[in-house]
Amino acid sequence: MNILVILFLVIGVFFFLGGAIGIMRMPDFYSRLHPAGKLDTLGILAMVMGLAIYNLHHFSYEALLLSLKMFLIVFFVFLSSPTATHSIVDAGMRAGLRHWTKKKGKG
Amino acid sequence: MRVLAFIIVCLTGALLLYGTGEFPDWGDPQSPASVHLSNVYIEKALEQTQVPNLVTAVLADYRGFDTMFETAVVFCAGLACFLLLRDFREKKERYYRHTPTGVILHVKDSKKIIKVGKEFAHMDKNWVPSDLIIKSVCRILIPFIQIYALYVVAHGDFSPGGGFQGGVIFGSSLILLAISYDLKTLVRRIKEKVLGIWAAVGVLIYVGIAAICMPMGGNFLDYSVLAPLVWDPHHVRALGMLGVEIGVGIAVTAVMAIIYINIVSEGRHEEGL
Repeated sequence: MNILVILFLVIGVFFFLGGAIGIMRMPDFYSRLHPAGKLDTLGILAMVMGLAIYNLHHFSYEALLLSLKMFLIVFFVFLSSPTATHSIVDAGMRAGLRHWTKKKGKG
Repeated sequence: MRVLAFIIVCLTGALLLYGTGEFPDWGDPQSPASVHLSNVYIEKALEQTQVPNLVTAVLADYRGFDTMFETAVVFCAGLACFLLLRDFREKKERYYRHTPTGVILHVKDSKKIIKVGKEFAHMDKNWVPSDLIIKSVCRILIPFIQIYALYVVAHGDFSPGGGFQGGVIFGSSLILLAISYDLKTLVRRIKEKVLGIWAAVGVLIYVGIAAICMPMGGNFLDYSVLAPLVWDPHHVRALGMLGVEIGVGIAVTAVMAIIYINIVSEGRHEEGL
């Protein structure tokens, strides 16, 4: 059980770390949104999965309810995070922000 | 007039700054608040109020007056926003969209009003095509946000939460509606008059519950004398707090919506964001 928890948490940390590095390293606004929007969802899924399993250590009705509530967080993040990313990109395109290209002089 | 206002503001600020000089240092263990007050709250709050959440007990019971006038301040903020920004003049230029063809009409004469219905639709000047993804996700999320807001209000005396937080969450759900659709949708669903009335009703609920205590034989805001009125006399203080929290929640919700609508539309309540 503990091994499973640790495995999930490590996966979550790995994805969050990847997302954080991606946000720092990517060249422009749009490509930075990509790790921010994408890896957050999977990272949160893994993290909450680990925490929910850890919470079920002493199995009871309350603990099960709490774990289900944790998955509600995942559900809402899954709904709202991609939508937020989508609308931010949309707003950026409308405001006229050019996307990054490899040529020099274009930002 | 403006100079006079400036002088008054400066004087008030100077007075307040002068007053803070008398305060004990922040976090000073020898200050009266730390020596006497905190200990009494921590030791006595549960047996005196039967409320498990200490913060709510202090906020809504021991310092009920403070919170009452805070609610009044929130109400005044909404009122000030309305009085300063609301603009009842009709807009001169209007834009309409012919729905079947997508042709946009620019009407410069304010007297010519095109009926909005199946054929024509209102259009904002800097119109953004409504995005299906955002719309449908917000449609799913808004009810959950509102239920969560009610949960936060109702659980104020047991867990972190309360009227202010719940009201802000509920207000944010209304703002989300205005952002994901458009301002007209929100204004059409909740009339300006209704919002104003709700803001006042919230404050009235608080003051009313406080005032009922007096004819029942207690002090203003002394919830314990309300015991004959409620179904659970043992928890009468918790129920009284719940009542005032509901009032606070209603007032904050309405004021949030009023402030948002007035600011984004420059007081015209027609278009914006």
